[in-house]
Amino acid sequence: MKTILVYVFYLLVIVAGLFAGGVSALWMSGLLGKSTISSFATVNVNNWTTDPSIGAASADAYTRARIARHGLLALAKEEAIYFARSTDDDGEPLLEACSYELKGGPQEALWWSITLYDNDSRLPMNDDNRLSIDATLVGNTDEWSAIISSDQPDAPFWLSSRSAGQFDLTLRLYQPEPGVIEDSRQRLFAPSVQKVDCEGSP
Amino acid sequence: MKQLFIATLLLVLSFVIGHITALIAVPSVIMDTAMDRMQERGLKHHQFTLSPRTTPQTQTVVRPSPDLAYSVCLFELSGNDALRIQTGTYDRYTSVSFFDDRTNNFATVRVSSDEGADIVLLAPGRARLGTGVFEGQQIEAPSQRGLILIRRLAPTENDYARVVEASAADRCATLERSSDGEGSA
Repeated sequence: MKTILVYVFYLLVIVAGLFAGGVSALWMSGLLGKSTISSFATVNVNNWTTDPSIGAASADAYTRARIARHGLLALAKEEAIYFARSTDDDGEPLLEACSYELKGGPQEALWWSITLYDNDSRLPMNDDNRLSIDATLVGNTDEWSAIISSDQPDAPFWLSSRSAGQFDLTLRLYQPEPGVIEDSRQRLFAPSVQKVDCEGSP
Repeated sequence: MKQLFIATLLLVLSFVIGHITALIAVPSVIMDTAMDRMQERGLKHHQFTLSPRTTPQTQTVVRPSPDLAYSVCLFELSGNDALRIQTGTYDRYTSVSFFDDRTNNFATVRVSSDEGADIVLLAPGRARLGTGVFEGQQIEAPSQRGLILIRRLAPTENDYARVVEASAADRCATLERSSDGEGSA
């Protein structure tokens, strides 16, 4: 009887170990808990973050698991670079209740875009048709500015955050010039995100 | 004392096994789930399907770009199989990217706006086609299953309408095999 109990104890230990190992892997990959697309990035340029191993076969197992959740079917860096940010220039979370001025300029790429996603990495459920701005809209030669807000502003370029709650932004550079990601501090025109005001604020 | 030592050893070993197994399994599980959902929505193997214009209401994967039009071909290759992929011409950014069953982007081809793409995808380990059979780019898939994705820049309704026209010429079809295993392009 004692021998049986010992073996049952061992079995329980193995089950507990397998479970804890599995959970720890999911947590370290950012699949559990409140991680964001920026949580594990290795490159940070003025709050825009990226991981150069996105889409690469050389990506480690944690990166691959994380990207599978947050950026399934992302391209390797030679074809596209993805930068994300989830805070404004003061480091505060981006919120639907606030409006922001987004200011940027030309990028060393064939084409670029900035898209707004909600906390589940989805396009927010609104029908404003203003969830991204791109080089075909604002050009790729001059500096530009746009307003991020839940209501349409009196401004030429608008990103709608209606129904987004807490959100983040993704900057895509398609066919970037060689070396942009390696020297992104010098060569990325990292758009600024300045808070304008918030609902309920004086 | 001996039992405590054995229990600790079992705990550490099972923790490591559970950790590694979960890490290896996650990308495959997510890719399988995504491909199964695509099939449930009517996407077929070895055939490109143009997705509706990307909106909050039509999005099916995380972080879609509303400025791009996506065409998807699921593939399943075994033995000596090969697929020929051709794209219709379109005058804005177009690329064809290949993903294996673990989410790896194992190849991406930039497509000229003048000519479109003409590519052969080979099953893992399959011999390349002879130059007399096919002159274009040949890519060996690292896994039997996966998907091919055409991205076309289409930020406006008009652009998307032009993509619809261009995509009518997209092809993702199995090469016919001759008796010696060579594909017939």
